[in-house]
Amino acid sequence: MLTYLGRRFLAVIPVLFGVTLAVFSMLFLVPGDPVKMMLAEFVTTPDQIEQMRAQLHLDEPILKQYGRFVGNALRGDLGTSIRSRRAVSTEIGENVGSTAQLALASMAVAVAIGVPLGLMAALLRNSWFDAGSMIVALLGVSMPSFWLGLLMIVAFSLHLGWFPATGGGDLWHLVLPSVTLGMIASAIIARLTRSSMLEVLGQDYVRTARAKGLAWWGVVVRHALKNALIPVITIFGLQFGNLLAGAVIVETVFSRPGLGRLIVGGILAKDFPLVQGTVLFVATAYVMINVLVDIAYAFVDPRIRFG
Amino acid sequence: MRPGHRSRSAALALAALVSFTAAGVFAPDALAQSGGTLVIGLDQEPPTLDPHASPSAVTYQIIGSVTENLLYRGSDGKLAPWLAESWQSARDGRSVTFKLRRDVKFHDGTPFNAEAVKLNFDRIVDPKFKAGGARAAFATYAGSKVLDEYTLQVNFETPFSPFLNLAASGPLSIVSPKAVRESGDQVHTRPVGTGPFMVTEYVAKDHTTMVRNPAYTRKAPWSDRTGPAHLDTIVWKFVPEAGTRVTTLESGETQAIYAIPAQSLPRLEQNTGLRIEKIPWPGAPRIWLLNTTKPPLDDVRVRRAINYAVDKDALLATVAKGIALKAFAPLTAVMLDDPALRQAYPFDQAKAAALLAESGWQPGAGGIRTKAGQRLEILLNAIDYGGGPEPAVQLIQSSLRDVGIDVKLKTQARPPWYEDNYRCATHGPVMFLRSIDPDGLFSLFHSSFVGGNFNWSCVKNAKLDQLLEQGRREFDPAKRRAIYLSIEKLALEEALTVPLLDDLSVWAYRANVQGAKYNFNAYPVLSDVTIRR
Repeated sequence: MLTYLGRRFLAVIPVLFGVTLAVFSMLFLVPGDPVKMMLAEFVTTPDQIEQMRAQLHLDEPILKQYGRFVGNALRGDLGTSIRSRRAVSTEIGENVGSTAQLALASMAVAVAIGVPLGLMAALLRNSWFDAGSMIVALLGVSMPSFWLGLLMIVAFSLHLGWFPATGGGDLWHLVLPSVTLGMIASAIIARLTRSSMLEVLGQDYVRTARAKGLAWWGVVVRHALKNALIPVITIFGLQFGNLLAGAVIVETVFSRPGLGRLIVGGILAKDFPLVQGTVLFVATAYVMINVLVDIAYAFVDPRIRFG
Repeated sequence: MRPGHRSRSAALALAALVSFTAAGVFAPDALAQSGGTLVIGLDQEPPTLDPHASPSAVTYQIIGSVTENLLYRGSDGKLAPWLAESWQSARDGRSVTFKLRRDVKFHDGTPFNAEAVKLNFDRIVDPKFKAGGARAAFATYAGSKVLDEYTLQVNFETPFSPFLNLAASGPLSIVSPKAVRESGDQVHTRPVGTGPFMVTEYVAKDHTTMVRNPAYTRKAPWSDRTGPAHLDTIVWKFVPEAGTRVTTLESGETQAIYAIPAQSLPRLEQNTGLRIEKIPWPGAPRIWLLNTTKPPLDDVRVRRAINYAVDKDALLATVAKGIALKAFAPLTAVMLDDPALRQAYPFDQAKAAALLAESGWQPGAGGIRTKAGQRLEILLNAIDYGGGPEPAVQLIQSSLRDVGIDVKLKTQARPPWYEDNYRCATHGPVMFLRSIDPDGLFSLFHSSFVGGNFNWSCVKNAKLDQLLEQGRREFDPAKRRAIYLSIEKLALEEALTVPLLDDLSVWAYRANVQGAKYNFNAYPVLSDVTIRR
């Protein structure tokens, strides 16, 4: 088990190295001179552009700049936002809670809808329920989140007046965004639960359990579902990435604070340090969550540890 | 000053334009209800609320009633006393002396005096501070001198008349020096001014709250009454998604919103529970800067032909319905309006064709003109916002095709768009510029700004340079107007640009919200606002 953990964590290092490299080279891969872009909104003479370049150390050799970037990041210094002039780490700190809240709440919505829906569809295979729920799931997978979000606002905020359309803060404001994001993720989870459940239900040990005379529901929940959920756990980690991507849109539609809006704002304002810092943070979080999922996976399925 | 290039299109007849005077009709004080909370939805979050650091209009939209300026410039364009009771420019034009009010305190209790103003101005030029839009006002600043506690002399290396208008603009508004010194990072979220409202809360990506300043006993220059603001509280919500923003106004979650999307405007205007107000922007209109150095635009006849050929009425009717007026010159009409400018380039395809023929471009295959085997192609630099270039640019393309010019769009992300403008690599971009003083034209046309922001016509013209420099030396309003009129006439004669649309700043209110006024910058001042219940 320890070796497994050790190996998982060691594997993270090259990934994170790749992330820093990708994030750093962003500045150079995007066409155009970063300094000129940053100053684009001001009246500037060519002299001022050169001054700014020196201040940002952009006149140094690239390797030295990269070393500075990684060194600072390791110390938790992600630089200063050009637009707001505050530390990027402060800005991330202000927004990470809201996004985590949204991600967890929508994950809960996704599981609460997706697992029972997939389970029922598998048990009632080839029935109208199966067909109906899978069509709904297909619609969910194909539905753009900004569109679903606007529909939610029109229905539940404008017409029914149940929930506020915008803002962060209390749970009341969390309902519409998390249901929007969760419904889309639930579609994938429902489809996966269904196929995984169908596979497990055909296994010998399920038949054996039934043959032993165990209650049908007991077999489904204790034998089949437990095993069927293993691939679903894996998809959690991957879905988390989707949730972060979805948060970029959902946070904008619902005007919620969060990392998604931070990145969008940074991109629109050409705020390179902010975008680099936030992307680095999100990528690292994504990698770490997948490591945790891998570890959880090993706990649920002993074959992983020894395999 | 701030450039822009965001596309705003809309729908509605121009007749519905509500001028500020009409919008300013409000109940006498006896009927006006004091108190209440006004929630306003904005399209952006400000980068900072520090007026000296911000490069962005949204900052000044929010703090228009929080911080005050030495002078006030109202919608009539006239300068009025504000924190300064009077002002006098020196005969050599190199200094302005302000007599300040003696009864003013900042929200934090710090007394307002000449020393405080000096600290504000010195802060803006401090290289360690990195000022935003404010920095340009002090390009030739030579320090301020405190003559006595309430008299300040502001000095310049060379005469600089735009300073008076700039002193009345948001970036030069005055904040508490004590707060600047002591509040650290909070300086960006809690500006401490002297105005009728005080910022009390800032939640990033969500909202900022301001409350009435009970100690405001003066008469604000836009108001006809003395004393504190009517409203208790104003909440500015940052709602970037336009559809969401409109919905919050309709559902009552907000009572006012800014930046109305084109497709929603007709619906909102039909809603009797709402009211639309449209304010003209000062500065340069939405304008195509023609790169005068790149053939075939190095030929003035081709540039003039383009000016005759662009169908602005079609532009207005399709992409800017209800949210813009026709533009005629490099300054918006509210800055300088003159019949000579309006008559310069009527829509006239025959004249355009004649000019092109005269410069040797003859009709060729596929309706595109040719000269010496070369097709008449123009490369327009356009920004892709994810949904392609802005619609105005596509309309130009079809307008010019009618006279035999093939306009190719170089649609690209903002960074390379800027880069191409600096290098004069295309036939020019479409952009706009917000500026309270006609001196905004300096950065647009002075030769020293080629390769920087924003001389993207790449024009180096000694006569223009001289006139632009003369405009900075002249303090007499009538003479200044004459100078900038000749600059505009010269720019039109040389066809350095194609003026397209004068954008309007569009606000929507619940009908029971009354009394919003706007300064010359088109930013709202809200101390007279009431909400009828």
